[in-house]
Amino acid sequence: MKTDRMTSAERMDALLKGKPVDRVSFFSFALGFCAKNVGYPVATIYSDPEKSFRAQQWTKEQYGYDSDPFYGYASYGGWEFGGEVNLPDGEYEQAPSHGRFAVETEGDIERLALPDVKTAGMLPLARQFSRIQDEMGLSPSVVVGGPFTIAGNICAVETLCRWLIKKPELANRLLRLATDHILDVAQHWVDAFGKGRVIIQIWEPLAANQIISPQQFEKFVLPFQAELHQKILAMDIKYILCHICGEQNRNLPYWAQVPMGNPGIISIGKEVDITTAIEYFGKTCIIAGNIEPALIQTGTPQQIYELCRRAIDKGKQAPRGYALMQGCEIPVNTPPYNLYTMRRAIDDFGWYE
Amino acid sequence: MATEERKQELIKGLYDSVVNMDEDTARELSQAVLDEGIDAYEAVTQGLTVAMDRVGELYANFEYFVPQLLLCADALYAGLQVLRPHVRLGERGAARQIVIGTVEGDIHDIGKNLVKIMFEAAGWIVHDLGRDVQLQRFVEEQKRTQSEVVALSALMTTSMMAMPRVIEMIKAENPAVAIMVGGAPLSRDIARSYGADGYADNAGEAVREAVRMLDELKNK
Repeated sequence: MKTDRMTSAERMDALLKGKPVDRVSFFSFALGFCAKNVGYPVATIYSDPEKSFRAQQWTKEQYGYDSDPFYGYASYGGWEFGGEVNLPDGEYEQAPSHGRFAVETEGDIERLALPDVKTAGMLPLARQFSRIQDEMGLSPSVVVGGPFTIAGNICAVETLCRWLIKKPELANRLLRLATDHILDVAQHWVDAFGKGRVIIQIWEPLAANQIISPQQFEKFVLPFQAELHQKILAMDIKYILCHICGEQNRNLPYWAQVPMGNPGIISIGKEVDITTAIEYFGKTCIIAGNIEPALIQTGTPQQIYELCRRAIDKGKQAPRGYALMQGCEIPVNTPPYNLYTMRRAIDDFGWYE
Repeated sequence: MATEERKQELIKGLYDSVVNMDEDTARELSQAVLDEGIDAYEAVTQGLTVAMDRVGELYANFEYFVPQLLLCADALYAGLQVLRPHVRLGERGAARQIVIGTVEGDIHDIGKNLVKIMFEAAGWIVHDLGRDVQLQRFVEEQKRTQSEVVALSALMTTSMMAMPRVIEMIKAENPAVAIMVGGAPLSRDIARSYGADGYADNAGEAVREAVRMLDELKNK
C-alpha cells in the first residue's frame, strides 16, 4: 500500500485551489452511522453538537475521510418555518422526520413569515456546531435544502406538487420564502464567522425526476436555485457543495446553468453517471459521488470494491478533481468493513501519478 | 335510457377527464352516468380504470410525473366517489385485496400512496396501514383481511432493513401470501435477497407485478 504524501487538510486545500493532489479524495456522507460507530444514540448527531462533532471526527480518523464533520439533515426547513420534526429513535430510523408541517392549508401560507435565523428550529444547534468547527480550526459549514426541498418540507411534497399545476402562485410564494430564508441563513453565517470562510451545503432531493418533470424543474426550480447560488457566491463564502440527490439526469442541463462557484463541489447520487457529471460540471466543479448507499449496506465487500474501482477510474478524468463519496447518506447499520472497502479502493486505484 | 353512442361518449369523457387531470369534469360526467341510467360498473371499469392504466404508462415512461399523477388521481377519486355507491355487488366478482404500508421507521409515504391509487383504480380492495407501520401490523392485517398480496414500501436505506424481517414474519404465518416491495433504494436483486415475490420500479408497474406474482404463485 502506498503512503499518503499529503494530509487531509493539505489535500482539500490543494483540491479547492486546483493544485495537484496525491490521490483521489474521500468524502464523508455519514451521520447517524458515526453516532452508532462510537456508541452514541443516533439522535445525538442532531441533538448534541459536541457529541455529533466528536463522533464524526473519530469516524473520520478511523476511515481516513478528507472532508470534515458537518451538521444537517434533509428535512431541514419544516421546523424552522413553524412545523415539527421528530428525531430518529427506533431501530429502523436514521434521520429527523416530519411530525407536522407548517403549512397544511392554503390559508396557512398567508401567515407564513421568514424565520428568525438566530432562534428558529435547529439553527441554534447548527451554529453551536459551527463554533466547534471554528474552534478546531475548520471552516464553519451550514447545511440547507434547496428552495424546492425546503418548500416541500414546509407544506408536504404532495401539496407542493399539486400547487405546481393548480396553484402556481402558492408554489412560487413558498419558493420565494425558502430562497430568502436560505439567503438569511448564509448571511448570518458569514456575519458570524467571517468572509471567505463559510462552506454552504445545499441538498436538493425533492426536485429529482422521481418527483417532478424537467419542465417543472426549469419553471419552478431553476430560477430560484440560480438566484440563490448567485447571491450566496456574492457573499464571499468559501465554496458551495451542492448535493443533487436521486434521479436528476433529465435536470442536468438546467443544473448546469446554476452558478456553483469556481470551484464548486457537485455531489451526485447513484443515478447519475460520473462521466456524465464531468461533462456537465467538470470544467468548474469538483465531482463527488456516487457509490450506492443501499449497496454499501447490503452488498459484499467485493461488489463495493469493484463499484469504487470503476467510479475512481471515471472520476480521475475530472479536470477539477474528484472525491469518492457515497451517493447519499449511508445507513446507520452499514457493515463497517464495507465502508472501509471504499478507502481500500482509493489506496489501490486512486493515485494520480 | 341513454343510447349506446351516448354511453360511449360519457365513458370517453370520463377517460379524458382523468388523463387530463380534470376533477370537476370527472365528477360531472359521473353524475351524468347515473342520471342517464348508464351502468356505474361499466363507467368505472371502461372509463376511470382504463384511464388510470394509461396514466400509469405515462408515468412509467416519464411523460407524467408525480404532480400530474396526483391530479389524475384526484379526478379518479372524484368520479369514484359518485359512482362507487351505485356499483352493484356481485357484478364485479370477488375483488382482489392488498395490504399496503410504509415500513416501521419510515414516514415517507408518497410512493406508497401512488401505488395505492393504481390498485384502487384497478378495482382492488386496498387496506392501507399508512406509514411508519409496526411490522406485526402487516401480519395481523393480512390475517384479518385474508389479502392475497402485501406491498411494503421504504424510502430510507435504514428502514428498508425492516423488510426481510417482516417478509419472514408474514410468510411464517401464511406462506401463500405474495409480497412485493418498492421504494427508491430497492432493486429487483435486493427484493429477491429479502425473500420478496415481486418488485415494482414505479407505481405504474405495481399492479401488473402483483398480477404476475399471483399467477406465478398459483402455478407453483
